[in-house]
Amino acid sequence: MNGQVEDSILVRAAQDGDVDAFEELVRRYQTSVYRIALRMLGSSADAQDAVQETFVRAWRALPRFRHDSSVSTWLYRIVTRRALDKIASRRTTGTLDEVDLGGGPDPVQAAEHQERFRAVKQAIANLPPEQRAALVLREFEGLSYQEVAHVLGASVPAIKTRIHRARLIIIRQTSSWQ
Amino acid sequence: MAVTDQAESLPCGVRLEELLAQVADGAPPADERHQSACPYCQTALRRLRRGWADVTDFTQEPVNVPRRLTAQIMARVRVLAAQTADFILLGHPRGETRVSDAVVVRTAQRLARTIPGVVYASARVEQHDPPLPDRRDLSMRLVVTLGPALYRLADAVRAIVRRQTPRLTGAQLDRIDIRIDDITR
Repeated sequence: MNGQVEDSILVRAAQDGDVDAFEELVRRYQTSVYRIALRMLGSSADAQDAVQETFVRAWRALPRFRHDSSVSTWLYRIVTRRALDKIASRRTTGTLDEVDLGGGPDPVQAAEHQERFRAVKQAIANLPPEQRAALVLREFEGLSYQEVAHVLGASVPAIKTRIHRARLIIIRQTSSWQ
Repeated sequence: MAVTDQAESLPCGVRLEELLAQVADGAPPADERHQSACPYCQTALRRLRRGWADVTDFTQEPVNVPRRLTAQIMARVRVLAAQTADFILLGHPRGETRVSDAVVVRTAQRLARTIPGVVYASARVEQHDPPLPDRRDLSMRLVVTLGPALYRLADAVRAIVRRQTPRLTGAQLDRIDIRIDDITR
């Protein structure tokens, strides 16, 4: 039923202290926020931390939310910053979770599939953090270059360069491209 | 194979990243006539499409959000909300009872949602003027369906909230302001 209620109404209610309205926003956006964190950090435990911190920060920052950007853009900005901070505080690359593909009917095919995905995941994890953030927002969340630029606070040409370079690195690491 | 983030060009001069943008974004080729006749571009495009398919498949893999994540987030948010919440104070000879304003708000919301036509209700309590320990004013915002007369619907919400909230929470409500923010089908 709450799906019929626009984000802006829920945000105003949450700004008035309505915790239930905020919970509805959490339910609406936690999947995409979690996916961004997971693909940037590579670990489910780190991603969960980042998502919790994202929404707690969002709750604290609600009084300053001025409705001049969408809720998704606002949350994506917070989660990418949290993830970038976590990456910066790591001394080494974090441990990557296994890719769970479930039980396919053909074990050989499933193993090949898993191997290809593992290679993509590792290639993403090897990207410089700023490139990784831009690529995740573009390829996983389907944001336009302009939206990615808005979330990351960079110019559109700078974002295009980051994404193009990230793609080249991934294609070289995951295929037999020479 | 050495990995570098420098852009590369094919022997025909076309930049690899341009072809990759074509594959990943569906961007049109910069020079369609050249590309359709160029063996280097055609070979590169075939290989890039094959390689990029793995990335596309991976981006479409469903992500399983941990089951308890919402509860964990909301537990932390509720602690923060409680730190700033006020209480109504119900006196009793053997002690006092405090009921958070948040409880009054949630009670009013749930009562409002029992009225047919109310899709969503939010509420905010305000200190009564002059401040009294068990008295509050209430501001409510509604999203309603198209159909019922809005003033009747607002009256019905006001009536049930005024009647039931004191019974359930002990809070005495004076003003109940209602604002209808949106209408749905």
